[in-house]
This record gives sequence, C-alpha cells and structure tokens, in this order.
Amino acid sequence: MEQSAREEILRKLKAAPKKGIRSRPVLPPLRELSQTKEELIEKFTKNLVEETGVVHRVPDNQAALDKLTEIIQAEGMKKVMVSTDDVVAPLDLPAWGKRNNVQVMTPKDFPDRNSFRDAVFNEAEAGITGADFAVAESGTLALIHNKDQARLVSLAPILHMAIVPLERMVPVYERVTEKVFAKKDQLPSQFIFITGPSMTGDIQGALFKGMHGPRRLIVILVG
Amino acid sequence: MEIKTEQFTEAVKRELQNARSRAFLKLMPPVLHMKRDISLATFPDIPAAQAYGATIREEAMERLPELLEEFEKNALANGARVFWARDAEEANAYITNLAKERGVKYVTKGKSMVTEEMGLNEVLSKNGVEVWETDLGEFIAQQLHRPPFHIVGPAINVPVEEVCDLFMKKANMKEPTLDPVKLGYAARLFLRDKFHHVQMGITGINIAVAETGTIINVENEGNIRFTKASPPTQVSVMSLEKVVPTMYDALHLIRLLCRNCTGQKLSAYVSMDSRPKKKDEIDGPEELFIVIVDNGRTKIYQDLKARDVLRCIRCAACLNICPVYRQIGGYAYGWAYSGPMGQVLNPVLLGLDRTQDLYRASTLCGACKSVCPVGIDHPSLFLYYRAKDVLGDPYFKGKRRPWMEEHIFKGWNWAVNRSWRWNLGIRMVRPYINKNAAGGVIRKLTRSFDGWFRSRDLPPMAEKTFHERWSEIKEGKG
Repeated sequence: MEQSAREEILRKLKAAPKKGIRSRPVLPPLRELSQTKEELIEKFTKNLVEETGVVHRVPDNQAALDKLTEIIQAEGMKKVMVSTDDVVAPLDLPAWGKRNNVQVMTPKDFPDRNSFRDAVFNEAEAGITGADFAVAESGTLALIHNKDQARLVSLAPILHMAIVPLERMVPVYERVTEKVFAKKDQLPSQFIFITGPSMTGDIQGALFKGMHGPRRLIVILVG
Repeated sequence: MEIKTEQFTEAVKRELQNARSRAFLKLMPPVLHMKRDISLATFPDIPAAQAYGATIREEAMERLPELLEEFEKNALANGARVFWARDAEEANAYITNLAKERGVKYVTKGKSMVTEEMGLNEVLSKNGVEVWETDLGEFIAQQLHRPPFHIVGPAINVPVEEVCDLFMKKANMKEPTLDPVKLGYAARLFLRDKFHHVQMGITGINIAVAETGTIINVENEGNIRFTKASPPTQVSVMSLEKVVPTMYDALHLIRLLCRNCTGQKLSAYVSMDSRPKKKDEIDGPEELFIVIVDNGRTKIYQDLKARDVLRCIRCAACLNICPVYRQIGGYAYGWAYSGPMGQVLNPVLLGLDRTQDLYRASTLCGACKSVCPVGIDHPSLFLYYRAKDVLGDPYFKGKRRPWMEEHIFKGWNWAVNRSWRWNLGIRMVRPYINKNAAGGVIRKLTRSFDGWFRSRDLPPMAEKTFHERWSEIKEGKG
C-alpha cells in the first residue's frame, strides 16, 4: 500500500498542467550584513533583551565562571545540568561546582534516556550550555544537538544559561546554516534556534514566559 | 474534527452576540497587526521581501513532484522513514498502528493543523491511545471540545473563568485562580509530567527542505521541542505542499512567517530535524517517521488557479486584517482553517457545495491579499469559486443556484435586454409592487423575497418613468 500511494500521488502531481517558473526578483541584502562586529553585538543584545533574555558580556573564561557563580548564588541554586560541548567542557564546570557547593550533573552521568529524563525534569534547577553560533539579526542562539549537546538541557530546567564566545557572533542565519548543513552526510540530528525563553499568549493574549521550557534565558558573551 | 461549514450563518448570528469574543476581536487583531508592521520594517525593502516569499512558494508548487522526490530521497538517506498517505484515513491508520505496535499508552502532540483536518486525535482515542495536545491554546480547545478560534491562538478568546473551571477539573489544579500566568503554570506542571514519560510524540511540519531532507517546526512554547526531544519515537506529519527547494528559501520564509504571524523577528524556538538521534545521543528520537499526506491536495493541484491556495504558510496575517473575521471570529468558519485562508482552502478541500457561505462571506476588499507573504489572491479565488458554483462545476462540486433563482435571473436577463420588454414590464409590475408601500417605503413583497427585505427597504416605484416624463416635458405638458 505504501508504494502504491506514493506512486499514485506523484503520478497525479506530474500529470498536472505547468505554469512555468518565474525568475526570482531581486532581494536587497539585510542591513546586518554590512555592520561591524560591535554593532552586531549591540544588535544581538537589544534583540534578545526585547524577548526578555538577559545578556552579560565578560572579557574571558574566568570572568564567565565568576558571572556563573554570582548568578547561581543569587538564585540559591544547588543542582544544575551542564552540557559537555566545546564551550563549557573547557570551563571544567564539575570542578567549579565543587568549589561553589553546587552539584553539577552532565548527561553523560546517566546510563539511559529514562534516568537522564528523571534528572533533567525533576532535579536540575538550571541548564548550562554553550552555543555554536549567536545570530545578531534577531538575538538568536544556534545549537547543534549531538552527543555533547543533549536536547533537554536547554529545555527542561526553568532557567537556561548559555555561554557564547564572541567569535561565534554572525550577522544572519545564512552564515550559520551554510556551515551546519554544508555536508549532507554530516547533518546534525537536530539543530535549533533559540530566541528568548519559552512563551505563550494563549490565555486571553496575556504574555507569559516559561510555558513549557525555561522561564528565563541568560546569555554570557565572552570576549 | 466535525465539519460545520454548512452552519456558517447560524454560527455567525451566535458569535455576533458573544460579547467576550467581540471585545477580544476589537483588541487582538489590531495589536498583532501593529507588531507585524514594526517587525517587517527590519527588511530593507518590505514589498520586495514579501514578493520574494511569493516566488519561493510559487516555484515550490511548480516543482512540487520533483521537490517531494528529492526531499524523500534525502530524508531516507538520513535514516528517517517516509510514509505517503492518499487521505486522512490512510494516514490515521498508519500512525495509530505505529502507536499500537509500540504499546504506547499516550502521545503528546505539537500543534498541527493537518492532523486536525485529518481528525487524528479522534482515531487515536478510539483505538485506546490517549492524546495530549500540548500547545496551551490547543490543550484548552481540545479539553473544551471547541474548534480553533484563531489558527495561531486557538483558545485565545476563552474567558479565564472558563479556563479556571477546566483546569480544576482536568489539569489537577489545586486552587482556583483567574490569573492567566498562574493558569498557564498549572498547565505547565500538568503537561510536564506527560513530557517526562512520553514514549511517542506527534508534530506537524512548517517547512520541509528538499535539498537536505530536513523538517522544520516554528513555535514559542517549547512543547514541540519536548515532543521531539523526550520520546524515543517521533512522528511528524505534513500535507504535501510544505516542501521548499533550499535551506535559503526556508530561512526567508521563516523570517516572513514569524513577522506576519506574531510580529516577532523569530519565534522563541525553531527546530530543524534531519535524522533520528545518533547512537551516542541520550535524547531525541531513535526512530523518525515522516508522514506525507495528500488528502485532496493533488486534486486542487490539477487546477492552475486554485493551486495558488497551496502556497499558504499559515501565518494568519489575513485573519488579523480581515474585516469579516474581526467581527465573527474563527468558530463560524466551521473547521480547522478559518479566516480568508480558510475561505480559500476549505471550499476546494471539502467541496463548493458544503462551503456555500465561505466564499461569499467577503466584501472583496482585498485586505487579505495585501498582507499575504506568499502572494495568494483571495478575492479573485472567491469570485472563481462563486462562478464555478453557479455553473455547477462537477470537479469542485459546484451546487448551481436553486431552480427558482436560476430562472428568475434567466427571466431578468431576457427582460432587460430590450427596452420595449423593460418598459412593458415596468408598467405591468408597478401597481403590484406599489401595493405593498406603506409610509413611503416598501418593507416586504411576497414570501419568496423575504430574505432580500430582511436588511433592506425599497422606495416605491415612481408613477412615471424618466422617459415618460421627458417626453411629456418635450411636448410641453410638464
């Protein structure tokens, strides 16, 4: 049945009359493409803050760790789930946790989906991840999901903190997808854009953050 | 989902009395429209950006079979499974079977219009698989058994008191509250437990990218991300027109979609799946099923004019600007698709005979067309459907007009084609019509014209026609 439905649908579509393809009109390039690095950082920040994201900028990794400590202490958090991606792994957050009396879990501490789900849904008070790109045009983080970037870390806990080296700032989405989708045999299972915390306006149009995912998003730009 | 497109007039009368919905409609669409204008201004040239969106979708429709084959080839190479369904029944049976084979007790669902069109929830429930809609608005609409009021905010008109009652009964809420934020939080807690243990998730698809075999979802709540991240089985359903050629095209359409929909530059979450999770990943689907549903699209596709309907990306800009939608809201349209986009889509999916009022309930003002990011010409489609209907077009099931109406207009056509027939006719009907005049106006005629007089009066006919008076003046009698 599977094959015949496919064949039937495609046959009908192919038998239909044609109009001819019009050439694409000229599309003026987005303004971000001609902006300086500092302008892009400013734009990224402004866009993300509009969506209630919080953006900090620090000079180096040590300052990023200090910022994390400050936030965790202010929130009184005791347990966090941390990705093992190439931004946060070098920060050695498990050691940082020991110094600051915070239990740091990583997805690799868990043998299977169910035990990981239990921890990330019920125990983690925050998720800490790096980001593969930051996109200025809309204040967006781009994350490639793989063994070091589990999907639920940036989603299930009520607070998401992301650390982004400034050399990963790009003006527009195309600069990201050109890299991520360049090689057909190396496509990530999932790739996401995050622009602010989870939100809804579904009850009477009243905007409300943290509908299902994080209520707050804090981004630490490093560099 | 029950189809109530034939009860349009009754539903409109009801909704015009609904003070809540009316108050809400005065407020929401103008706000969304204003936000749309602000966000669109980030394009250096707004008309050029909208026009570019139109050519992307136009080209995608022109190349549809080829793009679907390319998409399928790449998705299969990436390790997804692809199922083609001729109609809702085949798609529902396939998905139900997937759930049964895996012994899942329930599924979580991301908001998806095509599965509403298919009535998937009803079929799953009948087969013992619980379905949890997880978009907040969709969750409320599902629990209240209501159709969507707005394609983006399905329950946005439901009063907080009603949501409160509902959540006390069905979402384990402990204490009553009228605060939308607390209500939302109660739903969060309730659905979080579903996400935590879910074994199979079902989502729609906003865009499918042919060159990579990638499927894309655009959302704000994160429920679709949970539905794709937490369970080991993911089923994503698309109607077959969702495909575009390249990732560049997809990105431009996403920019247009978010701006035209909620006035955001980008929705909170855009997720792009290209394959099942790899072995060393701890979450994400072990198996990814993509269901491509026809359900009447190949039929629409044969008609070059009606085909333009398939360009729609469901942004809802046409609802928010429509002077009719702004009065009556979404229920009256009687099915999953409401507003101008529903008025052009429902008639060719369901038949012109079952949607008589939809393509007529329009002022033809063209507001919908003016905001559409993919260049759909709604008013001209309404006229096209009306013409097909009047002529009794068999392909889209035109109904013809009632016998009486058809013959009255044939007679009218005959009478007004020659001046002597007209003049003679006037003299014959004048005394009969003017007999009904009272207080200088005619308020009713005979029973068969009741409908016409419901909202109109007629002045009585003059005792003499212009021509008669003119000849009298010329002859010096006047």
